[in-house]
Amino acid sequence: MEASEHDSWTIWFQHYGPKLLLCARQWTDSAADAEDLVQEAFVRFWRRQRHLGGDPLPLLVTSIRRAALDVNRRDTRRERRELAAESPGEAVWFEPVLENDERRQAIEAALRRLPEEQRSVLVLKIWGELTFQQIAAALDTSPNTAASRYRYGLAALRQELTAVDRHG
Amino acid sequence: MDDTDPLIEELRQLTPAAPSAVLTRRLAAELARPARRTGLRWWLLGLGLPAAAAIAMLCAVWSNHRATVGPRTAATPAPPASPATDVFTPVTAENVLYAATDDGLATLPDGRAVRRERLQYIDTITWVNPRTHASLTWSIPREEVRVVPVRYE
Repeated sequence: MEASEHDSWTIWFQHYGPKLLLCARQWTDSAADAEDLVQEAFVRFWRRQRHLGGDPLPLLVTSIRRAALDVNRRDTRRERRELAAESPGEAVWFEPVLENDERRQAIEAALRRLPEEQRSVLVLKIWGELTFQQIAAALDTSPNTAASRYRYGLAALRQELTAVDRHG
Repeated sequence: MDDTDPLIEELRQLTPAAPSAVLTRRLAAELARPARRTGLRWWLLGLGLPAAAAIAMLCAVWSNHRATVGPRTAATPAPPASPATDVFTPVTAENVLYAATDDGLATLPDGRAVRRERLQYIDTITWVNPRTHASLTWSIPREEVRVVPVRYE
């Protein structure tokens, strides 16, 4: 691989990698599984699809989502529960915040408690910066449904965080 | 959905965690490896197809010639069977819808109101040679424009 080629993918991956990983985490049971999916999608994109033009993020997110569905279909629920049990120290979804990391932890915990369908839309919208049209395409749903899930998810998150603030 | 919502603003301040160094190393190793070569080359197809056509034409001319001349007195031995050629069989075909945009309302020449949607796909077809297990994957972008009639009820 040429040096410039190496530089360009590393720069690209530094920018998009964290977003892709966070998206992948929504559909996998462990950080290791999420990284496998990101690797598979990214290598395919970089080798075959990066010259196709357009915004690469929706394509990569859709690719990761499809691969996650395949993995989930392949593994039985029991196997996934066992895998989850093997990795109790889950890696964090967000970088620790120096000033007020407790708040970051509270938000992350509240986010994890949301139903998967609402959480996915929130993550794709806020951190993936996708439009509702793109989210709908990635999740095989309609833009209206994606927008509703976003609203419900945000309301549920607000409620959770308000309860945390109230009770400390 | 108000983008000035303080909660949304607060969420946006959170930075997704970076992938592990292990993943970056794995990617570097994977991308440093040359892409898997396949048994089929498009330039070979370019050469092979005209060659196959020429052979087919020669066979046709030869069989016509034999038909007009008539069978020889002694039966000629059959030519040895040609070795099995490499055959690529399509094994998967998938299309991934990765973007959809609503172009809004439009009016057709006949005056009907329609909504125009633009869908972008990546079509991927994979062929495999069962004998050598060589594979060929072909990905191509496709844009589909859908026109949906609008009803005002």
